[in-house]
Amino acid sequence: MSPSFTAPYMLREMALAAIRTSRLTKDFGAHRGLFNLDLHVSPQEVFGYLGPNGSGKTTTIRLLMGMIRPTAGSAYIFGLDCVRESVEVKRKVGYLPGDVPQFGSLRGGEIVAYLGGMRGGVDKRNVRAIAERFDLDLSRRFREYSSGNKQKLAILLAFMHRPELLILDEPTSGLDPLNQQEFYALMGEARADGAAIFLSSHVLSEVERVCDRVGIVRSGTLVRVAQLEEMRQAGSTESLEQIFLSYFSEPKPKALNP
Amino acid sequence: MSSLLLALRLGRWGIAGFSALAFISTLAQTFAFYTIAGQTAAQQAAFGAAIGTLASHFTAILPPPIRPETVGGYVEWRGFHALGLIFGVWAFASATGMSRVDEERGVIEAILAAGTSRLELIAARVAAFTVGALVASLAATAGFVAGVLAHHDTLNSSGVVDELLLLAALAVCCYSIALLVAQVSSPRAATAAAGIVLLGLFLINSLSRTFSSLDTVRWLSPFRYYDLNQPLPPGGTFDARSVVVLLAIAILATVAAAVAFMMRDIGSALIKIPGLRHATRYDPSSAIWWRLPLVRELYDRRVALIAWSSGVAVLAAVFVSVVKSTIQPLLAVPALLPYFAAIVHGDIYPAVLGFVWFNFAQLLFAAFAITQVARWAADDTDGRLEIVLSQPRSRASVVVERLVTLTVGAAVIALASGIAVYYASQAQGIDLNRPRLAAASLMLVPFALVFASAGALLAAWKPRAAIGLLGVVAFASYLDTEVGPLLRWPLWVQDLSAFKLFGTPLSSGVDGRNLAIMLLVVTALIGSSILAMQRRDVGA
Repeated sequence: MSPSFTAPYMLREMALAAIRTSRLTKDFGAHRGLFNLDLHVSPQEVFGYLGPNGSGKTTTIRLLMGMIRPTAGSAYIFGLDCVRESVEVKRKVGYLPGDVPQFGSLRGGEIVAYLGGMRGGVDKRNVRAIAERFDLDLSRRFREYSSGNKQKLAILLAFMHRPELLILDEPTSGLDPLNQQEFYALMGEARADGAAIFLSSHVLSEVERVCDRVGIVRSGTLVRVAQLEEMRQAGSTESLEQIFLSYFSEPKPKALNP
Repeated sequence: MSSLLLALRLGRWGIAGFSALAFISTLAQTFAFYTIAGQTAAQQAAFGAAIGTLASHFTAILPPPIRPETVGGYVEWRGFHALGLIFGVWAFASATGMSRVDEERGVIEAILAAGTSRLELIAARVAAFTVGALVASLAATAGFVAGVLAHHDTLNSSGVVDELLLLAALAVCCYSIALLVAQVSSPRAATAAAGIVLLGLFLINSLSRTFSSLDTVRWLSPFRYYDLNQPLPPGGTFDARSVVVLLAIAILATVAAAVAFMMRDIGSALIKIPGLRHATRYDPSSAIWWRLPLVRELYDRRVALIAWSSGVAVLAAVFVSVVKSTIQPLLAVPALLPYFAAIVHGDIYPAVLGFVWFNFAQLLFAAFAITQVARWAADDTDGRLEIVLSQPRSRASVVVERLVTLTVGAAVIALASGIAVYYASQAQGIDLNRPRLAAASLMLVPFALVFASAGALLAAWKPRAAIGLLGVVAFASYLDTEVGPLLRWPLWVQDLSAFKLFGTPLSSGVDGRNLAIMLLVVTALIGSSILAMQRRDVGA
């Protein structure tokens, strides 16, 4: 689906949505990938994306970021096609990948300047504020950073340009509890400033704490999207963890478990 | 045993690739000999004399041949001595890859955490490379044997076995030395340090053929013990003590590497140089170059670029000084004067210099292009490409910026080498045509771009296989120009080789047709790279 062939009312709706996907599919073969994903994330919403390993969370994120091409369907961010208008999309997005990229011997401050330079420069005060609150020394070389500090740098790179949408793949991986709290506060501020957040995580307590809505993906298929409160009410148990586990305690469908 | 199997598995593509390369190389050289050497004893003697003269131009790289009028002597010189160099490069890449690349990626930590001792790990890696070197050496000798038997010629069986052992021993020796250097130096400097040490050892030996002052230190070089033997030709030389010395060096270096590995921290050098203490800083770098496309990439590669420029410039100066001292004694031989008159048009020194230096420079620039492609492939596997593409940049701009950076880098190196050749030749009293020297040096830029644009396409298509495939392309291109004319391949097949298209610009000027073909190929490959990059999945 492309904007030029879409009805005007749908275009308005897509422009309103921070993320909108329609039957988005990436088929890697052998029943692996993501299938027929229909998703809508509103501006200023924090959307939690849950699922076990290999369920399709990172595939979804890479499709949204235009890193991989869909087999079928479409994805839009603020009304922009994630494939054909990916450069414009990325002006609006801050991205934290699941695996922190390796920058070898570059210093933290050089990495920020390098990637910030590709955006035409970034607000130094904002960079300094984020680095200070995480106590991230930008004078050190990347290879000297601990895994936690590498994750802090990845967070800084995602937030440094005050994006309208944050796409975060397991953002608190490797962070100690104190820095996790700091990260939640940073997310809250970004949201208060008007940003939408798409967050994939394994930490259910984290999702429960920061998200407005959650989607649960299983074997490449979105099986549930709901407000957190609604989920609790609909489920027979209290915590998100128990609701989550209830989806995965059943045997896999036959087609997925040959 | 499981450590050995894992090490073999990790190195399987290297073993397969270098075995195939070795087999094809020696087979092609053997067939080339039977095609061009002639049938009669007189024809073969004349051929041997011509090869002997040709070899005298290359003494800075290869030792003079023994009995090049025989298949053993010819293939020993053209095939096996070149393979000695190639196996040295393989050993270097394999050893530094094991010690530092695997370490940075956490592979070493995972293996050690599984209960493997450090000693066992080093022993397994050396043993695996030894197996690989034996397999590749076997392939090299098999190529020679197959070529000889196909022509129903007699085979020097003991010479073949000696050659196999010698080649494998040299490779293992180079591997152990590179491994030791990588264990002692810091992760950041390991590759450069090991490369400098091996190149230094190679040059000590090869330059000692020209500069007698190096005679006293050439025993340090493993390449010396390899050169002392030429077991394939009838009446050739083989001293088993050379193999023993090579293996002794390998064992000593392996033991020292194991000790260094046991004594150092993972991720650190054995000897830590205390660095300057940095005050904590929360601001990004304010340097202007990080904002400027191309400049930021050049700045990021500044150390490598300086090392390449100065290294190539030094080699250029060495080649210039070697040319005169090599040619002068030959000019004193009256029998050789007709030969020089036949192959050299104009002044002899520029002609020989153009032939010898620019042939070698082509290999260096191809290697430069391959190292840059290796970095592009690593950008992909290390996640840097993904984070760069998460910025507002098109994929086409990434490909273009990479290639423009490489072009500027190659131009800087070409300029440095051209200046070095000019001033060194002035000092030697060799009168070079300045515009031609400038044109010949700059011709190295489109030459490097041919390999770089092929690499860009491969890196966009299959980043994990890009280096192996580009190595095959480079080897095929080199083989094409080496044996194409000998085996009388069609002209269009020979024109597929970038080495052939480079021509002899110092002595005969730049061939406009060849340059146009090169630029056409580069344009087509860049266009294909952009298309491939736009269509592929990143990080999947």
